[in-house]
Formats: sequence, C-alpha cells, structure tokens
Amino acid sequence: MSVNEPITSAVVTVTVNGTESEHEVPVRRLLVHFLRDDLDLTGTHIGCDTGSCGACTVHLDGVAVKSCAVLAVQADGATVMTVEGLAGEELTPLQRSFHEHHGLQCGYCTPGMLMSASALLAENPSPSEDEVKVALQGNICRCTGYWNIVEAVVAVGKGEAA
Amino acid sequence: MLLREVGYARPATVEEALSLLAGNDGARALAGGQTLLNVMKQRAASPEVLVDLGKLAELRLVGVQGMTLDIGAMVTLSALMRSSEVEVSRPILAEVAATVADVQVRNRGTLGGNICVNDPTNHFPPLLVALDATMTILSEDGERTVSVEDFFVGVFETAVREGELLTRVSVPAGGGGDGMSGVTLGAHGTYIANAAASVDDGRWRIALGCVAAVPVRATLVESRLSGVDVDEADVRAAVEGLGETLDPPSDVHASADYRRSLTETSVVRAVLQAAERASG
Amino acid sequence: MSTTETTTATETTTLQKGYVGQSVPRREDKRLVEGQGVFFDDVKRHGMGYLHFVRSPYAHARIQSVDVSAALALPGVYGTLTGDEVAILTDPFFQIAADPGGQVKDYALAVGKVRYLGEPVAAVVAETRELARDAAELVEVDYEPLEVVVDARASLEDGAPVLHEDCGGNLSYTGVWEWGDVDGAFAEADHVVSISQLHFDRFNSTPLELDGALVEWNRGTGQWAITTNNQFPGFAVIMMAPAMRVGTDKLRMITQDIGGGFGNKITSHPQLVACCLLARKLNRPVQWTEWRTDFHQSMSHGNERWFLDTEVAVQSDGTMTAFRTKAIDDAGAYLRYEPLGGVIWSQVAPGMYRWRNLRLEFTQAMTNKAPVSPNRGYSRMQHLWFTERIIDIVAQELGFDRVELRKRNYVQPEDMPYETPNGCVYDSGDYPRALDLALELIGYDTVEQRRAEAVERGKLLGVGIGSTLDSGTNNFGQSQLLNPELQFSGNNEVATVKLDIFGEIVVTLGTTPQGQGHETTAAQVVADILGCDVDLVHVRAGHDSYWNSHAGFSGTYASQFAVTGLGAVKGAADELAEQMKTLASMVFQCPIEAIELADGFARIAENHEAALPFMALGAIPNANNAGFPVDPPPMNARFVFRPQFDVPDKEKKFGNLTLTYAMQIHACVVEVDPETGVYEIVDYAAVDDCGVRINPQIVEGQVMGATAHAIGAAMFESFVYDDEGNLLTPNFYDYHVPHALDMPPLKTSSVESPSPFTPLGTKGMGEGGGGGIHCVCAALQDALRAAGGALVTDSHNPYHRVWDMLRHPERSRDTVEVVKQ
Repeated sequence: MSVNEPITSAVVTVTVNGTESEHEVPVRRLLVHFLRDDLDLTGTHIGCDTGSCGACTVHLDGVAVKSCAVLAVQADGATVMTVEGLAGEELTPLQRSFHEHHGLQCGYCTPGMLMSASALLAENPSPSEDEVKVALQGNICRCTGYWNIVEAVVAVGKGEAA
Repeated sequence: MLLREVGYARPATVEEALSLLAGNDGARALAGGQTLLNVMKQRAASPEVLVDLGKLAELRLVGVQGMTLDIGAMVTLSALMRSSEVEVSRPILAEVAATVADVQVRNRGTLGGNICVNDPTNHFPPLLVALDATMTILSEDGERTVSVEDFFVGVFETAVREGELLTRVSVPAGGGGDGMSGVTLGAHGTYIANAAASVDDGRWRIALGCVAAVPVRATLVESRLSGVDVDEADVRAAVEGLGETLDPPSDVHASADYRRSLTETSVVRAVLQAAERASG
Repeated sequence: MSTTETTTATETTTLQKGYVGQSVPRREDKRLVEGQGVFFDDVKRHGMGYLHFVRSPYAHARIQSVDVSAALALPGVYGTLTGDEVAILTDPFFQIAADPGGQVKDYALAVGKVRYLGEPVAAVVAETRELARDAAELVEVDYEPLEVVVDARASLEDGAPVLHEDCGGNLSYTGVWEWGDVDGAFAEADHVVSISQLHFDRFNSTPLELDGALVEWNRGTGQWAITTNNQFPGFAVIMMAPAMRVGTDKLRMITQDIGGGFGNKITSHPQLVACCLLARKLNRPVQWTEWRTDFHQSMSHGNERWFLDTEVAVQSDGTMTAFRTKAIDDAGAYLRYEPLGGVIWSQVAPGMYRWRNLRLEFTQAMTNKAPVSPNRGYSRMQHLWFTERIIDIVAQELGFDRVELRKRNYVQPEDMPYETPNGCVYDSGDYPRALDLALELIGYDTVEQRRAEAVERGKLLGVGIGSTLDSGTNNFGQSQLLNPELQFSGNNEVATVKLDIFGEIVVTLGTTPQGQGHETTAAQVVADILGCDVDLVHVRAGHDSYWNSHAGFSGTYASQFAVTGLGAVKGAADELAEQMKTLASMVFQCPIEAIELADGFARIAENHEAALPFMALGAIPNANNAGFPVDPPPMNARFVFRPQFDVPDKEKKFGNLTLTYAMQIHACVVEVDPETGVYEIVDYAAVDDCGVRINPQIVEGQVMGATAHAIGAAMFESFVYDDEGNLLTPNFYDYHVPHALDMPPLKTSSVESPSPFTPLGTKGMGEGGGGGIHCVCAALQDALRAAGGALVTDSHNPYHRVWDMLRHPERSRDTVEVVKQ
C-alpha cells in the first residue's frame, strides 16, 4: 500500500508468526521496538545502536534482516517471523542442535543467531563451516567465541541433531 | 537508538517519489536504510520526511543493454550477488558486494544507498570510479546522467540534489579485468584503506577509497602502467611515491602514514588481481 | 578436538559416581532458544515510565546550571531528576578507598562537576522511550569546560587538572608491596634485564545485553523492587542502601536471565539509585535501558595499567629470582569498585613462577575517562600479562628458550600446595604438563618448518604462549590491605534445597548467572547426593532477595560458583539428605544408618521393599504430620558456604587471598603480512585445569569464551580517547569485537588436578586470566624476530601498531636493556 502524503504515525497490518494484526505506530518506531514493546515478543533482543550486533535479527518476508534497521511502518503488509515463531510443539532441529552443542551461554544473542542460521538453512540445507560463518557474520556473540554455534549449525546440515 | 520524530511516505511510482522529494523540505530518500536509519538512531541526521523507495520495483532491475550493464539504484547487495547478468558481465560487483558487512545488511542495503551515502570507507564509490560508471539521476525536470567522477562531491554528499533521485548505475559490460584490495577492521568490516583497479586493453583506471572525502584517481600510476604487460616489479615501481601525493586522514584505526602505505599496497594488489584476470 | 587427562588423584569428593563429571545438556537452554528467557528489559508494568539520562558532552566541566523546564513542558513527560536533588536526597556512595581516594564524592548523578564524557547529569522519565530521549535533549545544561587529563601518568604530575578537589590530587591509592629479599636477589643476580615501559590497554568484554532495570516503588512498605541485571546484588545493596539512607531489606533485588556480565555489570549502582529516586518521586514504575554508546562511554572499562622501570634478576641457568616494577593503574573518573584492583593482582603476585623476591609499587590514578570496574580476569589479567611479558622478553634478550625458561621457573607439581612469597596458596596443578599439551595441540615441533613455508608465501610466522592463573573464591579480607578500616573478610554463598509437598526438590541459589549454567550444575550435584534423577531437581532461575537464599557476597563474579555456589548447594543437599533419612528412619523405626537414598526413594539399604518415595517424605512435614511423637524434620535446608580464610597480615601484606587456582595455558600461531602489519591467528590451543569439572561441556564453553575475549582484546578492542577526553570507539562501529569470520580454529584440552581445599575438588574458573592476550603478543614478538626484532610492550596490537613495530623495531628495542650481562 502506498502512502502519498507524509505521515508521522500509521496503522500497519503485519503478520507476525502467522498471526495478522493491525496496530497504530509512530513512524519513528523501529521494528524491533514494535515487536518487543507493542507486540510483547521480547525474544528479539537489542545489543547495540549501530546495526552491528544482529541480536534483533528476524525474517521479514522470509529474509533475515536486522529489525533495528527497519521502521515498523516499513513492515506494513509484510510477514515477520521472530524466534518465538520457530518452534511448534517441539523444538526445531536447529534449536536442539544449539542445546546439544552448547551453542549458547547467556542466551542473549541466541534468538538472532537462530534467525540468521535458519535463514541460511532454508536456502542451503547442508552448509559448510565457512558458509555458516559467513551467514553468522552479522551476529555478535560475546560468550561462546562462535565455535560451538558454528558446529551446531553445521551439525543440523549433516542431520546430526537428534 | 531512538529516532527523532519523522514524516514518512511510501510512493507507488517513481513520479510520486519525485513529487514527494520536491514538495517536502528536508525530504530524504530512504533506500535500504542500513546507513540512514543507523545515523538517525544516533540522531546525527534528522530528515523531516523519509520517502521510502521500497515499493519502486522498477528501481530493482538489473539488465544488460548492448555493452552496458544497468543496475537499478534499489538493487540490494544480496540481489547483486545473485544476479546472473552481473556474474556474466561484471562479476567484481558481486564479489565486492559479498564483502560488505553481513547477510542482513546486504539483504536490505542497496547499491544506490551505498554510493549516495558516500562514506569514504564504503566499498562501491572507489570501485565504481575504477569501473567508469555513469549515474542516472531523475527529477521532475527530467533525467540527467553524471559521470562517476562528477558524482561524488564530498563526505555524505553526491551530485544528487534536493528533489532528485538516483535511479540507475551503469557500467560497461565486460571490461578486461577488475580487482579490489584493501584492509578492513575485521573480516568484512569497515575499510581502513582500499583501492580498486580496472584494466581494459592496456588502459587502467585506479581509484582509492578512505584517503579523501571522495574516491581519488591514481592517474600517475594509471599512466605509468598504460600499455605495459605488468608484472609485480613493474606495478611496485609504478606505485612508488603514490603515498606522498595523498593527504589521508588520521583516525583511531590508522595514522595518515599508515594509510598511505596501506593504500600503496592495496593498489599493487588490486592491479595485480585485475591484470591476472585480464590475462586469464 | 578435545582431550582430558587427570593428574594428581587427591579425591576430596564423597559423591557417588553419577551426574557430576558428565556433560549434562543445560536446562536453561530450552527457554532461551525459544525466545522465552526473561531479561530485565522484557519485564513491563502498567503505567511505567521510561528513563533517559542526560549525559555530559564534556570530559571535565563545572556544571553552572541545569534547566529542566522545557523537558517538563513536553506532553508525556512524567518528571525529571537533577544532581542538585540527588545531593539532597542521598549521601555520597561509601568509598572502599582510604584517603586520599576515600575523599571521592560519588553520587547517582553528577553533582557540581562532570568528570568524564557520558556522565549522567540529569534524568528524564516519559511515557515512551522515544519521548524520554526527546525530552532529555530539551534539558539545558550550562557547562564551564575544564582542562582534561586522560593519561594516568600525566594525571599524577604536579599541575595536572584535578578531578576531585577533596582528594587533593588524582591519586586514589599508592602502596609498596615487597616480599623476600629483593635487593639481595638483584645483588646476586647473574643478569639483570630492565624494561622501561609496558602497557596493558583499556578495553572491556562488552556483554551483549546492556545495563538496566525496572524499578517499582511500594509507597505502602517503603520498599523498592528492582528487576535488574546487576551481577553482584550483594555489593549493589551495600553501596545503595546507605546512600539512600534506608536498610538493605528495602531494596529487593530480582533477576532472572542476564545477557552476559563478565564483571562489567557489578557497578551499575549509581544508575539504579537514580531509578529508585525517580520511582519514588513519580510514584510509578521506572524503566531504564542503557544503549550501547551509553555503555561504552560511561560503564565498566577494564583497568588500564602501566608497568614502569621494571627490572628482572636472572641467574645464568635461567632461574628467575626477583623482579621489581612500578605499576600505575588508571581507574578513570570515579572509584566504583576501586581501588580493589590495587590488591586483587597480588592473588597471583609471582604468576605461575617460583619468584620469591618481588617488589611492586602500585599507584592508582584518576583520569577523565569512564570509571573502571571488574572485567573478566580483573586486575590479575594485567599482572599475569606482565609476568608473561617478562618471561618472553628475558628469553629473547638473554637467549633462553621460552618453553625451557617457563618450565624451569614454573611452580612444579611436587611443590603443591605452594605458598607464594605473599602467603597465597596455589592448591594444585601440573603446569609443565599443561604446557606440553598446548604445544602438542598446535604442533610446536613443526613450527620451524611452517615458519619456512610461511616465508615462501611472504609471511612472518610466530608462535606464542600465555600461561595464566584463574584465582577464584576471594578472601575479601584482602580489601583491608588497602584500607585497614574496612570490615569485610572471607566470602560466602547461600543455597536452599527443599523437598516440597509432592516430592519436588527445589533448589534456590544466591547467584546471578549470566550463562554459566548454574541451574544445570546445581541439579547435577543435588541429584547425586539425593540419589534421584536429575530431572526431578528443579533449580529456580535467577535471584530474588525475597527468597532468603542470599548473603552479603552473593552474586556471580570472580570465578567461584564451582566452589562457593556449589559448596552451598552441596551443604544444603547434604543437610536435606540427612533430614530425609531421619524422617525415613522415624517411619520405619530403624536407625538412620540403615537408610539410603537411591533411585528416588529413601529406603532401608538391606531391604528395598521398605522404601518411601520422595513424595511421601515431602508430604509428611508439609501436610500430613499428625501422630509424630517428635517434630518431623522440615525437609528444608538453607546452607551458607564459608571458605576457611584468615584476615591477611596488614603490615606484611601477607596471607591467603583466594582459595583456588585454576590454570590455563594458551598457545597460538600467527602469520604477519610484513607489508601491512595485518596478521591472522592460524592455529590456537587452550588447555584448562580447574580441578574436578562438574560439567565438562560448560567448562569448555567458558574456556572458549575467555579465549574469544582475549583474541578481541589482543587484536581489535580498545577504548581510545583523544586529548579532550572524547571516546573514539564509542560503539560497535569503531570498537570492533570479533565476529564469526574473525575466529581462528581452536583446539582445547584439559588436565584435572582436584583442589584439596574445596568440597567437590572443584576450582572456580571462567575468567581465563587473559591467557590469550599474552599468547598473541608473544606470537607477534616471535614473528617479528626475523624483521628487526621488535619487542611487544603493549597488550593491544592492532594492525597499525604491528606496522609501526615493523618499521621501527628500535623504538621498542630501546626500552629494554640487559643491565648486567
């Protein structure tokens, strides 16, 4: 839907984790704050203010993006998936693999890591170690040194997650 | 993290976009937003109105017309990496796109945004100078083209004036061989120094990033290399003294002297890469 | 790759073989991978207001006036707080330092002056986050800029601008620490090597989650509920309560999940006080989230340290007998946890070496930079780096082999437990064996061949070692070595284990984990003691002072959970086991000795038919207690673990300062591009010995994390200031932390030398002692030997510094001299 005259607040319709809803948001509200504060989806995190850390990574129309570098109003009409939307009754193989390979410690970067990694796996189901590193380059982790995270994602591709 | 109040419009056509840009003081085009929104989070920039180009499908086209590769300003870096036209006609563009920041930024960030920001550390300004690109700029008064040399005006400043929109970047399809080299802050990080080089039929274009507000042509090196079938010793000889002609900034990542030295090395490596590709 | 071997077999644990020692997958993970963790910023309350701090744009200035009227006039603004109000409503924070540092007046907001860029000057609370920031921009502050000092050495000179006039200068603490016969050792030395200046750089571990809180004021009870991520709530309330003129019980500290801490979340008490004052003033919940740039500019930098005029006494066979040096430590603008760094280093005074004669003049200065706080490896990391630098510089200058020099001077396994010259006791360990393992992992015997291959590719290859200690479980009595008036000593931690009505085992900790897996390891210990399935043990997530399971030193910091935390868990579980057996013996009317806990039952060991399920035991005291002639045991045990410590000798600065000494050896191989100074770590190994490992996977994860921090600090991470006190690396754009593609391949291994001093044979671990920082420094120095032989004198070596060393090796070479040949 186009917006022909400048506005400072808008009613947006978004489908988040399969549920469509309408919200009035100020234009200046970032998608990450919309998700966290307006929709109460607090699994998406914030670790920086320069678009560097990737803790806020979500899928916007199926593509991994940093939700701190998108306005909520830009998601109007779009489909968003957050970490809360990954698992159904059971954890996904990727989530289980993070658990089994000790791919998380404090868990703060984990939602963003999972969203970046799941976007990669959707495109490339059996990534190499280097491909995983490239896919996770936009996500900072300060606890693990990345080794176990990379191992966890590679293992999913090899079908090793239980 | 928290933006100032800002107006927003999302035009459905390029004409609407031009009218919004012309009709609102302090209006600014919002491309991928991967720089602009971050600058706004720091409140270092506060446009009055953002004109979101996200719905302008015609700015997302890549195509080859005769001997020219045309890339829409809103083509994302991820799309650039996947474009078969780019792969066939000027693969360096995809190669360099793949080293910009990270997947998420490349999924949103656009070629037009990267060059309109003209951060001196950005990847594409020097590369497009080396590739002898032409920029197409549209306004309500019509279309004009600007050579890449005239496009970059200053830090965060380009030839795109208020009310205008960059719509397309064109580079010659084919070419002989291209190379780009530099030193970044961490893998795929911000450039500390870089150089892009392109050779076609013995004629060189070499551009340097990170040393001035706009990309700098290394014309003396270009002429020294002209027509020569280069080996490493030739290139090193040609680059000799380049650093002294530059007046790069000193900052937390590099002193001016270090940048001079890195720039010389970057030129050597970019030229050798381009030469190898031209001969291969 | 991962290998383990056990050395000394000092079995101190009495546990049956069970969950302890196994890599039980973490139970914290499920909620975290589903995005269902609860971090402070995830908690919301009806009507809460968002707080935004107005921060100083100057590093040093007098505050002439603060005008909040325009901010208050903005619709949606709930209220403001200024330094003038804070000065009336609170007292300055208690200072750990004796005079002169003791005279520092530190408040929740700047009072009268600002002393670093980013210092909170006022606070605004508004209806939305965005609005709070808008309003903060409307607060008008009139500053009179003052001269700035950012170099600790310069700040101690006459005429330097003074930050805290009440201190009479910028000195916070100075003291001479000397043990053994230093002058005698130098007189008898065959060689003396002097190193004029070494510098340990300023950085921190930048946890991904920033500081913050949701503070609720209960007008009826006069109590604040503070949902926060402060990692040392025991310390926070000791700081906050007296300043706010209330008892500590008025401050209820609550935490569930914390997004990394690394020590950096110990000193958020000033901001928490500002939140409390505003919650009370506005009578509404106040939420404060710190942003990345705020954090970099104002919170928790690591201690920067200079080592000047170092001299090292060496015998001709390579035996190191003495060193003396002058350390100048940079505390930044306020003493939030300082000057404790002035004593913490002495936990590892001789490093891993048998130095018996040491003299260190420690001087701490205040500068117009962000205040420092503990940072993973706090104060020991700086000192251990220094001892390691000595080893490699002496080796290079006197022509010793670095590995042989280390092995000759290491404290040996047969020396354990080893008393250092200052009375610390290294509990156990086999340092030479761990070094061998690390060198094996990086293929040390093939290094010369790889070096030659690298030269053919135009690269300089070098190998380096960093050997470090991870001293854990502080004796807080060491604070008295800095300030004899202080009334802190020893250490403690609390755990409560109870059996509930339906047989659930519920464990409550006093700690505030930030990813260390306490819920998992505590469950492992309890399950083994109670003889039940680990899944029957419920460990509450987080910390809440309402749970009455905390003490003054409660928190998660300084490498101690495996000792104090699990010591408390074991103590409480042992007590509960005793209660369960007692109850079962009452039911079966048999002696308590006849009862065993196994397979989820309390049963007669000789007759498994006589068995009470846990559910029955839990029900009796809780809900089914009639007919008992005596009170059934409560099925509820609270245990305070207290390590055995004495107060150190203040005159001699002598005594045992920490209970355990875990150890790590790091080794790496780097390749340097001689043209650009750009280098890459191409091989890396870390070997850890933390005694008994409750959960090897978690231990390895900590080793990996410490390694990553060290690599970041060695190569990329630095808080750089210009002369005006502007921070040039204020966020992740210029402060580069390693990303996935920046990490080298890593090999880990471990040795298990159980501690003879702890209930489970464990040692606190996780800090890593900055081992990786030194191994990168050493590898660079080794690589540069073939290109001018520069000596690495800084802990932080970005590409430009390596390039300088390649261009001007004489600059560092000139700082080192063999005084006595």
